[in-house]
Amino acid sequence: MTGRDLDPALLELRDVCRQIADDLRSRALAVDADPDDASRHLDAPSLALLRTASTPKRFRQDDLPLRIAEYTDSCLARAVANVELARGDAGILSANTGPSLAGLAIDALGDEAQQELFYRALADGRTWTFFAMTEPGRGSDATAMKTRLERDPDVGHRLTGVKRYVANAARGSIGVVYARTGPSALSIRAALVTCPAPGFTGRPLEMIGLRGARFGEMSFDGVHVPEDMVLGRHLPASQRGIWGAGRAFNLMRVQIAAQALGVAFAICDYVCEQRPGAPGAELVRARLDAARELLYDIAVAVDRAPTDPRPPSIVKLHTTALAVELTRWAERALGPGSLLEHPLLEKWSRDVCAFEFMDGTGNILRLHIAPDTAPVRED
Amino acid sequence: MRESTAHVEGPESIAECELVAHTHGLAAGLGAALAGVDAAAAPGRVAALPAARVAPGATVIPHRMADLEGISFVRSQSAATVSAEERTAVGARLGAVRLGIVRRLADRAVEHLTARVAGGEPTVRKQLVLATIADLVAETEALRRRLMVAAAVASAVADAHERLTVLGWEAAKLFGASGYLVDGPARGAYVSRLAANCWVVPESGAR
Repeated sequence: MTGRDLDPALLELRDVCRQIADDLRSRALAVDADPDDASRHLDAPSLALLRTASTPKRFRQDDLPLRIAEYTDSCLARAVANVELARGDAGILSANTGPSLAGLAIDALGDEAQQELFYRALADGRTWTFFAMTEPGRGSDATAMKTRLERDPDVGHRLTGVKRYVANAARGSIGVVYARTGPSALSIRAALVTCPAPGFTGRPLEMIGLRGARFGEMSFDGVHVPEDMVLGRHLPASQRGIWGAGRAFNLMRVQIAAQALGVAFAICDYVCEQRPGAPGAELVRARLDAARELLYDIAVAVDRAPTDPRPPSIVKLHTTALAVELTRWAERALGPGSLLEHPLLEKWSRDVCAFEFMDGTGNILRLHIAPDTAPVRED
Repeated sequence: MRESTAHVEGPESIAECELVAHTHGLAAGLGAALAGVDAAAAPGRVAALPAARVAPGATVIPHRMADLEGISFVRSQSAATVSAEERTAVGARLGAVRLGIVRRLADRAVEHLTARVAGGEPTVRKQLVLATIADLVAETEALRRRLMVAAAVASAVADAHERLTVLGWEAAKLFGASGYLVDGPARGAYVSRLAANCWVVPESGAR
């Protein structure tokens, strides 16, 4: 293919992620079968390396090989890495401990002390994090949020409400919970929350795929939130809530798009290995290469304009649909009984559907992508 | 086309399979579609059967969601023993079953979205949602006719199954993340895809 020339540092990052991907692949089916047993994988050098790499440089406990140290430097680096890692397996990625999506929100909204508290809590390598935004019955509509963060003169604030489809809901020890302090959209705020805590209960939900993420439900019944755990206090009012986390959401969407694309590459690789010369493989490979170019271009755009939601929405919409479509091509190519005879393929067919629901469904993304007004007519 | 193929797979059996699946679910529908057919007739090395029809001693491939749907995947011990015509007829009946499952899912989606409010109005009134529902209705109607008039055309049946996989996914998405729960409404559509994967020879899958 002809395409983007990555700079040497990104090429090295890509290559080291490709090496890690082999180890991730070897753990994929075990995590899918028993996601509650994910902790036995945490000591794997590959997962430890990824934990450190996804931690901002100033909070890293261990030195990293230069080749992977660039992971957090840019949206493009995250995109390059996540394609290759998910090409190993996305499910085990989601089972790893580390900052994950909560880290991106902390980076955007946390002051120095809050960031210090968050990243020091992760230093043991055994701590899962949560990012709680979605609520039962309200989906991705953040403005309809019901969870309340109410001032309590004695303790600071009290958090009350229910969050659903949160990764690590029951096993997470620290994370970010969104709630409203009043009726307006600007009153939606994020708080740094530690668990267990009086008034908190978490339970896992059994999901169809990406089971390593251990999605679940979190209930807060007057959970104590000290004043200094409310995020964004040091920011202007307009940047404290969901708008302040705009860059974080955009990074998340690009990262999810990269993982969807990585699984799509994995499916293509697998089919071509099982059936050399599979019908349609050339076209599939071309579409994947083009999607990767789109991903890289959009990651660069996010690095230049971090708060524009349109480009990340475009790439997440495209790569998620492409990955789902490729599962059907794989079925065709490998013939009757293929999904039952190839457990990885069956797992990936379930996993790719998760990307549709994470950080904005397809319809929410379409609303970001479509122009607000009709095109201007040029006479 | 209608006159030449109706005797191979009558519209009545297509309608019956769809009705059984729509009313009673996947296991009952699969049972109707496989009437008189055993695991050895599967074109590959795995057959999908209603769990109640699995022979003692059969090798079963474990699958959590299939278990919950009352479906088992068994290793087929012998080479396929049926003609290509018979196999296509099974595929057409199974297509009707999946049509019933997709319609069942779409019905539940409309109920779900009617009860849900976004931006001050029932979510079901949102144009993007309405478009999806309209497409689901139109294509299920078209696929039913296809299964009735082209039940003996292997390529038409195989393509209908691929379209049913697409429609099942489009309907599942209407539930948001609740459509991704193992105990959620979309499980039947996913397991029906696996069942079709066992019984239908895809167009480019011949090796």
